[in-house]
Amino acid sequence: MKGDGRFGEFGGVFAPETLMAPLGNLEEAWMNARKDSTFQDELAALLRDYAGRPTPLTLTGRMSKELGLELWLKREDLLHTGAHKLNNTLGQCLLAKKMGKTRILAETGAGQHGVATATACALLDLECVVYMGEVDAARQKLNLLRMGLLGARVETVSHGQATLKDAINEALRAWVTDPDAHYLLGSALGPHPFPSMVAEFQSVIGTEARAQFQDQAGGLPDLVVACVGGGSNSIGIFRGFVDDGQVELVGVEAGGEGVETGRHAARFSGGSPGILHGCFSYLLQDEDGQVLPTHSVSAGLDYPAVGPEHAWLEGLGRSRYETAGDAEALDAFHSLSRLEGILPALESSHALAWVRRESASLTGKRVLVNLSGRGDKDLDTVLAEEGKK
Amino acid sequence: MQTLLEEDARGVAPYLTAGDGGLETTLAVLEALDAGGASCIELGIPFSDPIADGPVLQAASQRALDAGTTLSAALEMLAEFRSRGCTVPVAIMSYANPLHARGWAGAARAVADAGGDALIVPDLPVEEGSAMAAAAGEAGLCPIFFASPTSGDERISRAASESRGFLYVVGRTGITGARTSFDEGVQSFLKRAESLSSIPLGVGFGISTCDDVREAVRHARLAIVGTALVQRLHEAGPDGANEAASLFLAELMTGVAA
Repeated sequence: MKGDGRFGEFGGVFAPETLMAPLGNLEEAWMNARKDSTFQDELAALLRDYAGRPTPLTLTGRMSKELGLELWLKREDLLHTGAHKLNNTLGQCLLAKKMGKTRILAETGAGQHGVATATACALLDLECVVYMGEVDAARQKLNLLRMGLLGARVETVSHGQATLKDAINEALRAWVTDPDAHYLLGSALGPHPFPSMVAEFQSVIGTEARAQFQDQAGGLPDLVVACVGGGSNSIGIFRGFVDDGQVELVGVEAGGEGVETGRHAARFSGGSPGILHGCFSYLLQDEDGQVLPTHSVSAGLDYPAVGPEHAWLEGLGRSRYETAGDAEALDAFHSLSRLEGILPALESSHALAWVRRESASLTGKRVLVNLSGRGDKDLDTVLAEEGKK
Repeated sequence: MQTLLEEDARGVAPYLTAGDGGLETTLAVLEALDAGGASCIELGIPFSDPIADGPVLQAASQRALDAGTTLSAALEMLAEFRSRGCTVPVAIMSYANPLHARGWAGAARAVADAGGDALIVPDLPVEEGSAMAAAAGEAGLCPIFFASPTSGDERISRAASESRGFLYVVGRTGITGARTSFDEGVQSFLKRAESLSSIPLGVGFGISTCDDVREAVRHARLAIVGTALVQRLHEAGPDGANEAASLFLAELMTGVAA
């Protein structure tokens, strides 16, 4: 491999030897594609004519008024398939095609990445296998069905916690067994070159949002806020503003039932640097280096490690990471639905929840939230949580 | 371990997961394998997310963790094994994070103090392995890296030159447990690895019978047998595990003698 995939001390390529050659080939193909105007033009055309980019930037009315600030939403919920994930899957599937791959392997948590992968595979005529934890398959049944309709084969994973972490384990095992396939990792994590490549495919969010904000609002937002699971929607929007030192970057992790209860996915406040799934970053682990179980009402945030670029930005003091809990996220879900007519994904609801909680200290500020996905997939969870009250 | 491999003998290197069935069982099995003439033993430290392992070793890892097995407890057991006069070389095989959590230097010292001889880390390619290799060298342990059929010649040479003792060769692409059939392709890969490596080869992944062992040692000094042994130990249960280990090792070793 040419690069070491490091973001400061974080990142790297902690992969079994069998994957080193495919990772090296992927890195090379990706480095070439970045400079290849044909590839870039094809991807831009797919994003525009198929996926529906640019997505709008919406200034909320009633919610801004209620919170006493200007709340702007980058509307990734309006992207085809209902979340930001398609930016990455179209990019990687196009790259896989150029590499002569015919078979795509992917993991999924909330199912959005699985659906986006199945969609891109249908469009580009690629075979698609998606690994999904049983627990997630149960709580995101609609997405499971969508993947099937799109022609993907879904393998449910029953071991471990049967959530995203275990789906990634199984997808990596499948890739070790079939290194000629392309593994389409869905977040800005894993071994190099995935963190850089996924972040770059997602950076279209931040690039667009910055230009739209200047155009519609003038100047720059005071804060950019995004939820952080693996960290791809957040790094995508942060990349548009990272060089604007005056713009505060806030990532919101899943506080679950409270960091003190141990039932959460708050890697920065509850974890420490460690190695999982090919990269070195903040990780929820015990003192023996075993990975700890996580909890979040939102499947997409329910993961024990965070992308290495976030760990690096946090260390530099460029971004900071806060938490929002299950209950706050559900409140935010209802609030945006009622006030703005937008059902947000439970993942994105965490970013909104933090803004709502902190609104007193944000009075008059211009706050840009990445609304990374729509909430239709979460109706079962929301209704079940309502039933518990 | 280096002395052992300087001799030209070929042999069987059993793998087992520390703490599967309890550490008492592991200790009894280690003694049986030592007495039975194993050339080297790989002692696996259980990990929550073993991405290179198939279902059998995943389950063994989970059972060991459920039984409360930690790196420290496994090393205490190893020290007890050594105190009983057992001298077979022991390689500690662990995913990166449990060792990293302790610090590479501290982990390597602890392994050496307990009587371990080598470190094998399946998610640590040479690119990320310099800290481990340095710590191992400092502690007097052999760092062992991997070669796989997907590895180019340059990678194989590099992995061999960074390793001491032996180079771990994965017989085929895949996770542990799925069977390797030693066809021409596998043999030609092993031959390629042998010609590129300055040190002996240990070949593993999917070796489960004495016929497999016979094929494996054509180009390798060690035939590493993990999944098939772990499955037998589990089926035999804590009371029968050491006897099952002796019988299976004797059977496998006929592949070397023949």
